[in-house]
Amino acid sequence: MEAIIPKSSDAFLSLMRADFITQWRNRRAVIMSLLVPVIILVSWKGVIDKLGAAFALSISLTIGLTSIGIMGYAISISRDRDKGVFQRLRVTPVPTFYIMLSRLIVQLAMIILLVIFVFIVGYKYDKIVLSAGGYAITFITAIIGGALYLGLGQMIVGRIKNAETVNSTSRLIYIAFLILGMFGELGLFGIQLKNIVHWSPFGTVKTILAVGMEPSTWNYQTTIALFVTLGYAIIFSFLGIKWFRWDSR
Amino acid sequence: MNHQSGSSILEVEKLNVFYGNFHAVSDVSFNVKAGEIFGLLGPNGAGKTSTLSSIEGLLKPQSGEITVAGFNIRKQPLQAKANMGVQLQSTSFQPELTITEIIKLFAGIYGINLTSEKLNAILQDIKLENAASKKFGQLSGGQQQRVSLVISTIHDPILAMLDEPTTGLDPQSRRQLWERIEAIREKGHAVLLTTHSMEEAEAVCDRIAIIDHGKVIAINTPQTLIDENRNNPDVISVSRKGKITLEDVFIGLTGKTVRS
Repeated sequence: MEAIIPKSSDAFLSLMRADFITQWRNRRAVIMSLLVPVIILVSWKGVIDKLGAAFALSISLTIGLTSIGIMGYAISISRDRDKGVFQRLRVTPVPTFYIMLSRLIVQLAMIILLVIFVFIVGYKYDKIVLSAGGYAITFITAIIGGALYLGLGQMIVGRIKNAETVNSTSRLIYIAFLILGMFGELGLFGIQLKNIVHWSPFGTVKTILAVGMEPSTWNYQTTIALFVTLGYAIIFSFLGIKWFRWDSR
Repeated sequence: MNHQSGSSILEVEKLNVFYGNFHAVSDVSFNVKAGEIFGLLGPNGAGKTSTLSSIEGLLKPQSGEITVAGFNIRKQPLQAKANMGVQLQSTSFQPELTITEIIKLFAGIYGINLTSEKLNAILQDIKLENAASKKFGQLSGGQQQRVSLVISTIHDPILAMLDEPTTGLDPQSRRQLWERIEAIREKGHAVLLTTHSMEEAEAVCDRIAIIDHGKVIAINTPQTLIDENRNNPDVISVSRKGKITLEDVFIGLTGKTVRS
């Protein structure tokens, strides 16, 4: 009479379908994640010749990735945890990592969407064209950079239980990244801060994205930036998973 | 393995849960049999939720054994969970999903092939065929509870665990839910129910356990508990109508102090 354990693939597909529907219904948040990078691309049109196409695209993508990881992911996880959505899923015969994996796949889709969107706007509006290798490597570096910000988002929801506090903290961190990242690397806040920003989670992601768009310029410094990015991603994810509690109470 | 009426579906043995130094559940043992509605009663903070959470696999107890349909919840959690249907006290689903999508999600999780006919039948059964495209938050309390119950039992589990399922419902909705719970029993399945309503416990439970300060202090049929405590001075002293009720027994055994 006992129910047999349902096929994992069926359960996972059901979870993913629900998570994609949820993301689709949250179109406003999706549009916001895409809008800010586009605004940057459009508003920087006049300085692209001076700063370089890779610089503009990489800044746009980094800000988009920050938005997906810190704002989109962290806020939706904390909201669902607060509402008891996870507890409801955890009493079913679904391995708990499926619940998170499904969420992460949705975010991965968002990252791919962001990259495509930024490439299209960059091409249509700023006439930015990359080599085939540049496009391909940018997808990979964007996923690595995305992993860093998803890890950071995970760390925020791991450390902070209250959904409202996660919401406000995420917004503060996002704005700090936006301002320091965009202007810090230009040296507007001094050389010391420029160096800090360069090796910060914003700077390393921006570096691998920018250089990845022009693969021939990849050098030792870029490799170091790649390893630092991976290091950040691993540390943030490790701490985020370690601190995370499924229940906010 | 078929579960005949009277065979044990849920076994809880010497369960202990600590929160730091606080001993929330202390050596709690009970079983729930096939074809039985078993009520777990207790004041706030008595250890009901901790006990339930341990059975549901949401909480890792420090010691004790829990088996569902013969599967140990710690060693074979997926098998144990596949055999139980859980209705949490404050159930929430993704607010963006419609009722149809929520039912499909959980049917998929339990590996149920849900055809359009089956889905319509489910919606008709819970009288929500016209609310299929509504979001969970748009439903009334009674409708939400019907959806929660149908999702909890969509895979026809051998054990249904219902945490205060009728809280906040009007008398009609409550009666309707009682009938649904009794229908689960009629199939020979087991139901573990928590409630603060003594009327509900008396009306639907075949046996009840009263838990207080983390310990089971009484376990029996409602009528036997009343009969056993008819001459208990603590119970008589709290009786309001001269006639001893289950509520009198409950308050007599657990005390009049309001718990936080």
